[in-house]
This record gives sequence, structure tokens and C-alpha cells, in this order.
Amino acid sequence: MLKLTNVTTVVGGFPAVRDVSLEIKKGEFVALLGSNGAGKTTLFRTIAGVLKPSKGVIEFNGKQLNNLPAHKIVMLGLSLCPEGRQLFPHLSVYKNLMMGAYTRRNDHKGIQLSLEQVYELFPILKERKNQLAGTFSGGQQQMLAIGRALMSKPDMLLLDEPSIGLAPLVVQKIADVIKNISKEMGTTVFLSEQNANMALMITDRGYVLENGKIVLAGPSSELIYNETVKKAYLGA
Amino acid sequence: MDLFLQQILNGIMLGSTYAVVALGLTLVFGILHIPNFAHGHLYMLGGYVTFFFITLLGFGFWTAMISSMIILALIGILVERVVYRPLRDQPHINSFISAIGALMFLETFVVVAWGPQGQRIPNPYPNPVEIGGIILTQQRLLVIIAAIVLIVLLQLFLKKTTPGTTIEAVAQNREGAMLVGINVNRVSSMTFAISTATAAAAASLVAPIFMISPSMGALLGMKAFVIVILGGLGSVPGAIFGGYILGLIEALGGGYISADYKDVFAFGALILILAIRPTGLFGREEVG
Ligand SMILES: Nc1ncnc2c1ncn2[C@@H]1O[C@H](COP(=O)(O)OP(=O)(O)OP(=O)(O)O)[C@@H](O)[C@H]1O
Ligand SMILES: [Mg+2]
Repeated sequence: MLKLTNVTTVVGGFPAVRDVSLEIKKGEFVALLGSNGAGKTTLFRTIAGVLKPSKGVIEFNGKQLNNLPAHKIVMLGLSLCPEGRQLFPHLSVYKNLMMGAYTRRNDHKGIQLSLEQVYELFPILKERKNQLAGTFSGGQQQMLAIGRALMSKPDMLLLDEPSIGLAPLVVQKIADVIKNISKEMGTTVFLSEQNANMALMITDRGYVLENGKIVLAGPSSELIYNETVKKAYLGA
Repeated sequence: MDLFLQQILNGIMLGSTYAVVALGLTLVFGILHIPNFAHGHLYMLGGYVTFFFITLLGFGFWTAMISSMIILALIGILVERVVYRPLRDQPHINSFISAIGALMFLETFVVVAWGPQGQRIPNPYPNPVEIGGIILTQQRLLVIIAAIVLIVLLQLFLKKTTPGTTIEAVAQNREGAMLVGINVNRVSSMTFAISTATAAAAASLVAPIFMISPSMGALLGMKAFVIVILGGLGSVPGAIFGGYILGLIEALGGGYISADYKDVFAFGALILILAIRPTGLFGREEVG
């Protein structure tokens, strides 16, 4: 479904992603682990078309993404829930969700179904649908950001550190929902996390990114016992 | 009392134009994050295009105004493409310089085409009307009503339609907008088109009352800029109220103290308001 071949992305003169190759198949649930500054966000923004790769090929469902602008990539069914959430703070929760469905704006029935689905995942979004997004707490904003990304009905969802800055209970809740999105809704999910514990508990397999390079890959159940991973991410 | 009411009506009429022009400026500010310094000059050009259609092609007032709005919308799109978009990721100072080039070009173009002297559009509705003892021409009343209609339509567009919401979305979070599939460049073009078309409408509406001249763009652009700061940068209600407030200050100060100093009152009020409220009347604290 998603295939990267030797992708390098230079930001501000610095190669934040170096020579990354990976492949994710339809229906998979994959983690991208990496510490601060490893290049996770840069890699995701490159895939989503916000940044252009300086080298390499990105393919999605056999179509090359390299030269497509971000808004065309969403239309192909690949949606990024970005770092920092990037919500529309002065728009209501409801309007944020509706903007999430912008690519399908004429499919009123489909939008209604997705909206109900999102409300079911996050009932708080329904209760507070008229509240301005900017007045939400961090956890609520993260839920809204995930909900907004789902409104485009993506085949593949990229989630950039959804757990960052959230209380453990909220992290648990978000983890449950992400698992649900993968297992029940059948969406292919690529999840970036520093919280390796959480990510490896729910995903099928994972990649480890260090200084912009993939240094390890394998099933999550094995990575969780890997010495390097333990040392770097699990505080063991 | 009559003088007072007369000045209030004058103030509302002036304020109507200011509100419409400032509204366009604030919308574009939301997209560019810098003011479009050529906005006043595009307003001026809108007045001249209407003048051209009426005097040279013999169009009626409304046909001329609508044609001018369409032409200015296209010019607005062109200005965004040529003056601003290529400099999007560069320091703002480059866009300022580029905008100054554009406004000098516009002013010189109008001087060459129509001469430096003022021109007058024949007043289509010169008859007086009386409202509660106050006499004003139909044209002045028309400015007030047309401005309200424009403002209401624009608000409905922004709040109730999907394309309108995309303008707000891009202004509030550009990357978020890209990631939900909004074509940010197209939204920029649309915003410029709306902004310059409404400026052309405002210029056309008041052209039969005041003269049009190549230099009127600079002063009006400056005032619109003042209003947008006064109302809070990027704020739509701020631009509307700021427009009416500035119109009233000018009319009352001009009517009671001295007409020669009306611009002094306007700019003095700006300094005062900003001293008390640095974020402007409707400036909002950052949220999210
Ligand atoms: N605009 C930029 N200019 C220069 N360097 C940059 C820029 N953006 C990112 N970098 C650098 O690229 C590297 C990767 O950053 P990136 O944000 O992709 O990492 P990350 O894995 O997402 O980190 P975090 O967990 O903190 O979000 C970092 O060293 C960062 O300093
Ligand atoms: Mg990051």
C-alpha cells in the first residue's frame, strides 16, 4: 500500500531523513519509534506532501507521491494526523470535523456516516460539537485531530505522536481508539511514537528510526524485548 | 441636533466604505499574515474601471460597477500570483517591497491613462430623500444600504458555506488546511478576488459623491490599514466596527471641529486606542 525507496529529506540544509526504505501492506498496523529529533515528523510530513523528498521514491497504491501537493495526497486516501494537531482553533469542533471531510464535500450521506463513527469513538466531540477547538484540553484536541483525520475516510492513517504531553489515562484511551481504528475499522495505520511501550503493545510490527535512519525493524512482540529498544525507549 | 444627526449619517456613510474596504484587507491579512499594501490602490483602480465603463462605454451605473468588480477580482488574483505568491517563503520585507512596486505601478498607470486630475462619475441617484428631518441624497443612502448588504453577504459566505470556511481554516492553520485536502493556493486566489472585488464595489458606490483621483488609493489604503489594526489584525467583526468607528470619528471631528483635521482625528484615535488596547478592539488572545 505504502512503499518508500531510499527517501531522503533535507530540512534547513540538514538531512533529517536519510535513505529510508520501508513498506506497509494494506490492513497492517505499524509503529515508527524514535526519540526526540530522530526524524519521525519529517518522514511523515514528507509522505503527506508537506515536504518534498530530495531523493528517493514514495508510492501509495502504486502511485508515485513525490511531486503531488499535500491536498492531492489526502484525496488518494492517505491522511496525516500531524504533530501539534494543527486544528482550526477559532472554528467549532463540528466545523473542524467538516473541514476534515473537505475532500468528500459532496458526499453528504458518507460524511454523516463518518461523523457518527467519529462521535462513537469520541463521544466528547459530540457533546461539545459547538465549542471552539482552541478551548479544548490537550487530550480533547488530540481526539479532535484524530477525528478530523478520519473524516476524509482514509485507507491509511499516519498518526504523529498522538500520546505526546497527555496524562497516562488519556494515553490509554487514545491507544484503545487507535487499536479500534486499525482492527475494527480496517484502516491501515502507521503510528509514530516516543512512547515505545504504548506503541509496541498495540501494533503488529515496528521500525526504529535514529538520526533519520531506520536502524531496526521487526514484529512488535520482538522489538519490545530488543536490548537497544529497551535501553533507548523503555527505560530499562 | 440636526447638525449632529447629519454628521452621524455622514459618518455612517463614510464608515460603510471603510468597513467594506477594511473587511477585504483583513481577509487577505488572514491568508498572507501581512497586510496587502496595494489594497487602497486596487480600490482606486476599481473606481476608475467603473468610470471607464460609464464614460467611455456608456454602461449604466450598476452594470459598470459589477463589471468593475469582475475585472478587479481578476486583477486581485493576478496580484496574488505575481506580487505575493513567489515570495511566500521569504522574509516579509520582500513582499513589502514587491507590494510597493505594485502600488506605484497602479498609480502611475492610472495617471497615464486618465491623467493626474480628479474625475467625477455622474451621480445616478442625485435626488434628495428625507429621513426624520435629515436630508441626504439617494446615492448616500444607497452607499449605506449596499455596504450593509455586502457585509452581510460576506459574513454568510464565511460562516455558512464550505468555500467560506476554507478561508477561515487557511487563516487559522495553513498546514492543517493543506492536510485536510484544501488547495491553499486556490483559497488565496479566491480571497484576493473577493477582497479586490468588494473594494471595487466600495469605490464605485462612493465615486459619484466624492471625486476619484489617482492619489486616493494611498490615503484610503492607509485608513483601511488603521482600521484593521484598530479592530484587531485579521478580525472580521473588528474590521466592520473599526470601519464605522473611524467614519464616525472623522465625520464628527470634521463637522464640529475642523474638516481640515479630520484625518488627524482618525489617526489620533488609532494611537489612543492602541495605547489602551494593544491588540486592537477585537484582537483575540492566542488560543490552541
Ligand atoms: N526546519 C528545520 N531546519 C533545520 N533542522 C530541522 C528543521 N526541522 C527539523 N529539523 C531537524 O531535523 C531533525 C528531525 O526532526 P523531526 O521533527 O523530524 O524529529 P521527530 O522525530 O519528529 O522529533 P520529536 O519526537 O521531537 O517530534 C531534528 O534534528 C531537527 O532539529
Ligand atoms: Mg515529531
